Amino acid sequence: MSESSTFLHAWAAGREILLPVHDLREVVAFTPVTPLPGGPRGIQGVVLHQGEFLPVLDWKAVPGCPPDLEPALAMAVLRPRLGLPLDRLIGTLEALEAGWQEPPEDDPWSPIMVSLCRVDDRDLPLLDPDRLLALLHRLRKHP
Amino acid sequence: MDQSFDDVWAECEDLFIQARQTLTSLKEPQPAHLVQASVNALFRATHTLKGMAGMLGFPRFSQAAHRLEDIFDLMRKGRLRSTDSLIETLESGIQALESGLVGLRRGRPEPDDYLHALRRQLGELEALARPSEGGVRDLTSMLDLPTDVLKGLSDYERTRVTAVLLAGTPIYGINVCLDFSSFDERLRALSEAAGSQGELISTLPWEAPEDSLGLAFLLVVGTHAMDIQALGALPEEGLEARRLADPKRIPASLRAEPAPAAEVPPAEVPPPAAPAAAPAQDMEVLRLPAQRVEALEARLMAVAQLRDAASRILRKRQDQDTEQPLAMMGEIEIGLLEVQKSLLQMRMVRVDSLFQRIEPMVKALSRDTGKPVRLSFHGGDLELERNLLGRLTEPFLHLVRNALDHGLESPSERLAQGKNEAGALRISASQRGRNLRFDIRDDGRGFDLALIEARGIALGLIKEGQPHSPERLHRLALEPGFSTQERASQLSGRGVGMDVVRAEVEGLGGEIQISSEPRRGSLVRLSLPLSRAVVSCLKVRCDRQAFGIPLSHVLRVQASPSALQGGEHVEVLGQNLPMESLQACLRLPEPAGGQRLLVVLRQQGASAGAGLEIVLGVDEVVGRAELLLRSLPELAHTPGVMGGSLQEEGILWVLDPEAVMGLAVDSLMRRVARV
Repeated sequence: MSESSTFLHAWAAGREILLPVHDLREVVAFTPVTPLPGGPRGIQGVVLHQGEFLPVLDWKAVPGCPPDLEPALAMAVLRPRLGLPLDRLIGTLEALEAGWQEPPEDDPWSPIMVSLCRVDDRDLPLLDPDRLLALLHRLRKHP
Repeated sequence: MDQSFDDVWAECEDLFIQARQTLTSLKEPQPAHLVQASVNALFRATHTLKGMAGMLGFPRFSQAAHRLEDIFDLMRKGRLRSTDSLIETLESGIQALESGLVGLRRGRPEPDDYLHALRRQLGELEALARPSEGGVRDLTSMLDLPTDVLKGLSDYERTRVTAVLLAGTPIYGINVCLDFSSFDERLRALSEAAGSQGELISTLPWEAPEDSLGLAFLLVVGTHAMDIQALGALPEEGLEARRLADPKRIPASLRAEPAPAAEVPPAEVPPPAAPAAAPAQDMEVLRLPAQRVEALEARLMAVAQLRDAASRILRKRQDQDTEQPLAMMGEIEIGLLEVQKSLLQMRMVRVDSLFQRIEPMVKALSRDTGKPVRLSFHGGDLELERNLLGRLTEPFLHLVRNALDHGLESPSERLAQGKNEAGALRISASQRGRNLRFDIRDDGRGFDLALIEARGIALGLIKEGQPHSPERLHRLALEPGFSTQERASQLSGRGVGMDVVRAEVEGLGGEIQISSEPRRGSLVRLSLPLSRAVVSCLKVRCDRQAFGIPLSHVLRVQASPSALQGGEHVEVLGQNLPMESLQACLRLPEPAGGQRLLVVLRQQGASAGAGLEIVLGVDEVVGRAELLLRSLPELAHTPGVMGGSLQEEGILWVLDPEAVMGLAVDSLMRRVARV
């Protein structure tokens, strides 16, 4: 990470997270998800977004997520058309060059993370939408 | 290629579609004035193509379009008669230009002569049209009009006046005075009405009456009988009609050979064509960016969601006063579906459009190769998305070229094998769920699998000494650079093409399969997904969820006297068929008490006793409905689900019947294995 960028700062699946703003289409209020009977693992169902079906991530399929999740309040719509349920929104922040570190290997979210970012006194995971999609494809192939 | 030219390319494509359709219409017998209108439309289309090619910087394309424009000009002036061979030549010419355009768009250089293969035929046509000795007749002076008006007529109008009179048709003049604020719209309406009664030769500005502030016009129309009322003029437009020329007055020395047809009394004249039969060139065509239609679709979906929410609230009130608003909600729902269907149709074109591109090329190839072909098309009334049409044309042309060049044997070879001298080429389209399937089938020699295997080994694609299945060998033909042809032929076998076909089809999210049998023929099957479709479905309910089952696969619905569990057998029309619960197919909880309502599915196109038939148990049969289907994004692809449709109760999943039948068989096998 060599430049300052803008990130969405939110809570998801019980963790405080960052998402690159340039990977987002928009953030919308969470609406009920229509489940897909026999749908692929990692996708809890779809919602209608701008006239098209938008698959919604099932955090429970992501390793390391707690079994009981808070009901989502918002949803981040990623550029590669995937909805990410968010527990709550905190805002946006500019992260500078300093303060980044490699994701720890023992963090179960490391496969979907770009890095950890130091914000105040906390290290927050910066999620990578492409790695998230790769995880979903792996889950589909090896359910 | 510069993006700013996208509209120009798209307009060229539209012009080609119009030209093909118009040429096709000329093959059918039509009244003379409709033929004339069609030829005029073709003249204008080629004229516009010529101009656009010049604008895009393709002078040779422009020259070729000019050459075709000249032929249409000869036709519209009555100097060339429309015959089957003439139309066939012109179809080939249009096809050559269209293929050339596709090449240009892909950055290929211009050929020396786009119409090279047609030079001889075009030369013959032009020779046939040379004026006869004695020059051109001109009967314009017979019109009862002032000299300065007669002098103002164009060469074309003079030619048409002469031709119409020589054909024994009287010419009428219709004077109207139109309001300044709406004259263009009214003139168009009156011209269309006049054109539907005969040939509209000219629309001339006329001197308005002194007391009028409007604009006056004279419509010159060739027709056997003029129905004034049918013109639809308004009282204040002061319509007056009179006969301008009578063919009986043509001097005998000027009459054409053979003699013009005797004038038919008005009572015996066939009724004028209905306005609906008016030539297509009068139709206004709107060009819209696809994004605008998509935005409209999205907005409409939002409105539909709002309607559904309002309807749910109304139903919860459960009082008498809701009856009328609920009925109105039902009307709104029907209206919304109609608008959604109309929007969908804006994206769609008939498969016939694709077939029309192929037919002339097959005829030309048949002639060039000396291989007579029995060509047949099926499923032309189905629809495909417009963007697919443009991208499918070239792959199709390649596949058809391959079938003719490599697949079909020569007539002598076929006769020696006891086959019909003319090879059969059958191209069919069918809708399979959300997929459009195209089958290109020939009865030729089939793929030479031994040759393919040897070539595959030589190219290092497969290993020697190992068994290779026919499926694997057929797929090798789709590998880049794969060709078994020692030399490139004029038509195909250049080692490129099949991989391009595969890339194009897979790029559209589809797939291609090849199969063949030695000496019996080949089948190339393309399956292409549609992003949206209107599907007639049987609505059923299972586990409190609604599902749509496409009626194309529903053989019958029946009720069982007793509740059945998955794995039991049911007698359907004398057959004992296995039954599986829809819940079990979709891995939903099965009802403990079994199911009494049964939906019998049969593979599409299969006849009784052939193909898979299976019985699905459902909780409730709601009825039938036309559903606007939207496909699922790849991340949400789910076995057995073709897509979804927005309904009042939420999203209704439309099932892929073939996949559900497969899931049912899997489930039944699991039961047998007690897994």
